[in-house]
Amino acid sequence: MVKMRIFRDLNKHLLIDMIKEEWRLHRSLVGGLGSTFFPLIIFVMAATCALIAPLIARNLNQTTILLMLHAASLFYGFYVGGFGSIGEQIMTKRLGQVNMLLQLPQIYPISFKKVMATFFVKDSLFYLVYTYVPMILGISIAATYIGISQFGILRLGVTAFLAFMIGMGLSFVSSAASSRSKLFGALTYLIIIIIALLVYPFNILQPQQVLLPFAYWTDRSLIWPILSIMLSIGLAAAGSLLIKERYEIKQTKFNNSLLKINERLPVTGEIRPLVAKEWLELSRSGNILPAVGGYALNLLVIVFISWLFNYGFGIPIGFNVVFFSAFVGVLGVMTYSSLTIIEHNDYLNLMPLGVDSLIKAKLMIYFILTSGFTVGFVILIGLIKGEIYLIPQSLLVAACMSIYVVAVTAYLTGLWTNTLFFGAKTILKFALMVIPPLIIIEIGTIILPFNSGLATLMITSASVLGLVASGLLFMRLKKHWRNASFSYISNGE
Amino acid sequence: MPKTLSCIEVTQLSKSFGKIVVLNNISLNVAKGEFFGLFGSNGAGKTTLLKILTGQLSADSGEVRTAGYSISDPISIKRSVGIVPEAESPPTFLTAREALELSCLLRDLKNVNERVDRWLDFFDLQVKSDVLCRDLSKGQRQKLMLASAFIHEPSLLFLDEAFINLDPIYQRRLREYLKKIVEEGRTIFLCTHLLEMAEKLCSRVAVINKGNIVAQGAIDELRSKEGEGLEEIFIRAVNGENAHIP
Repeated sequence: MVKMRIFRDLNKHLLIDMIKEEWRLHRSLVGGLGSTFFPLIIFVMAATCALIAPLIARNLNQTTILLMLHAASLFYGFYVGGFGSIGEQIMTKRLGQVNMLLQLPQIYPISFKKVMATFFVKDSLFYLVYTYVPMILGISIAATYIGISQFGILRLGVTAFLAFMIGMGLSFVSSAASSRSKLFGALTYLIIIIIALLVYPFNILQPQQVLLPFAYWTDRSLIWPILSIMLSIGLAAAGSLLIKERYEIKQTKFNNSLLKINERLPVTGEIRPLVAKEWLELSRSGNILPAVGGYALNLLVIVFISWLFNYGFGIPIGFNVVFFSAFVGVLGVMTYSSLTIIEHNDYLNLMPLGVDSLIKAKLMIYFILTSGFTVGFVILIGLIKGEIYLIPQSLLVAACMSIYVVAVTAYLTGLWTNTLFFGAKTILKFALMVIPPLIIIEIGTIILPFNSGLATLMITSASVLGLVASGLLFMRLKKHWRNASFSYISNGE
Repeated sequence: MPKTLSCIEVTQLSKSFGKIVVLNNISLNVAKGEFFGLFGSNGAGKTTLLKILTGQLSADSGEVRTAGYSISDPISIKRSVGIVPEAESPPTFLTAREALELSCLLRDLKNVNERVDRWLDFFDLQVKSDVLCRDLSKGQRQKLMLASAFIHEPSLLFLDEAFINLDPIYQRRLREYLKKIVEEGRTIFLCTHLLEMAEKLCSRVAVINKGNIVAQGAIDELRSKEGEGLEEIFIRAVNGENAHIP
């Protein structure tokens, strides 16, 4: 009853204002065109995936495809649902000078629980309209060609969205629990991990016993969507109730180590203290593990993609270690992005330096964090596949593409990757700059067994050109971002 | 710093945000060694003007030179001046001491420890030197912002509501310090609503209203009658010459 009261008490006007705020924030960051472009991309991608679905269905059974779709939705929800940490971010001014409706409880007689519950509903609507509706529309366009009924696609959309809501609710509960007690938070995460392990690889629980929206597709019983709705509401209510109302300002003390780190760094100029600052911020904000873990997870994604091609699409391409190496950099975009959301940096507007200096410092941190993993990953894949002779070439490709892709990302999105990357112009420029060399390298890896001379030429020249282009982008950073401010919203144009 | 008699030279400066004109054809001069005060109602354009003067914002039209540098060279301006912004926002995850050390390192200063100790002592922040900036009180953060602006002993200081959040003891300490450095020949550009404080400190003032400079000069020159205070001068300038002063 208490849980349900939170939602009954939701303020309609606050919800509407939050939706307006989200929309205006989004428009101010990526522009009107960019805001429209994102759902369009989802629509096109969904239609494309639906059109190639019969190809996948030849090699994977329908149940596996549905399970993958629902599991992906669950993870997506879990990824975006960590609202529990927002309270701490607001109280510690991590958002710089940006003021949002979430800050209302500081001065108005409204509880943070209620505001967070409204925020949860607002975000659910946002993802529904911005992601799931275009996705379902995209699939339904392709429906006539692949022989699936429109009603079936609508049902798929509903169950996939319910999986997303459960993921978001789980993340909300875990993050809210973490804000109360690290141990409590760790326990909730541990429970989630144990349940996931019981499903796979231990096979003690069946996926449908855990992933309730997916269970609908095993027996078509309506009980599963109903239970899913109840579970997602319950999780959202539990998350809201767990949210702390007060964030005590604790005086956290640390050894003063900026000067020591600064002296040890093998770089010169104004970037040196910035790298030291970035390192301290990364470690003290507890973001080293998520950044490194996220990168390691990205590397596993590459392995998964190759598995999908081999067993999902049934395309018998012998992926060699060079192929994997080219993709390493592409997935590093997310890691670079995670480095740009730790601190507001408003105070740097008062210092004699440009935005480009901080971008360069962040690039330095990116390479410090990821280089070891990249090298280790390439060597490991080379050893597993018995392609030791390809390891030197793969290391060259991984290094060049890693540097190139992150240089393109930094050049186009600067300190605001997380938001500017959703802009239409940015995505197009990124695609035009990154996809061609990637295609050349991947074609090279495919023809490597048949014409090693041509393949090596293609791979090496694309990699070296990427490295040269990185140097040019690096030199142009200063000019490109010369008018940008360090403040939260700035597109550098 | 290039040799010039004026520390700040503004000629026909205009700035708009979309259709909103924030600064309209402003001209202003601040000489070396002046304690200059800028006053205005809320939203009059004070902070925008200060941001343009310090190279944080570009101008739509007009000429602006600060400390001898054009605002097209913001890095040289920021190297030469000290800026205390309206809102205090020191680095979240650095300690109080590290925040000041970073300020020194980014300005490539020598004797970092000596400088940092001096300003931590000045604002009695030594006991908080290893506390993260996010965990400091509003007043302590404001002191850090002030210390960071003073640490390189700039010849020109821009202070936007610098006294806000400070208790009377530190307000006095800051006031005495500012007086002293102006006597030494350094220049201060102060934006404030604390007119009583400004009256004690400023040698020359300007009043900005709806993006226009409506009064400018020495306080004595702006007085319409003997004994008229800065508050009356301000209200008269904002409301118009013959407006009733409540």
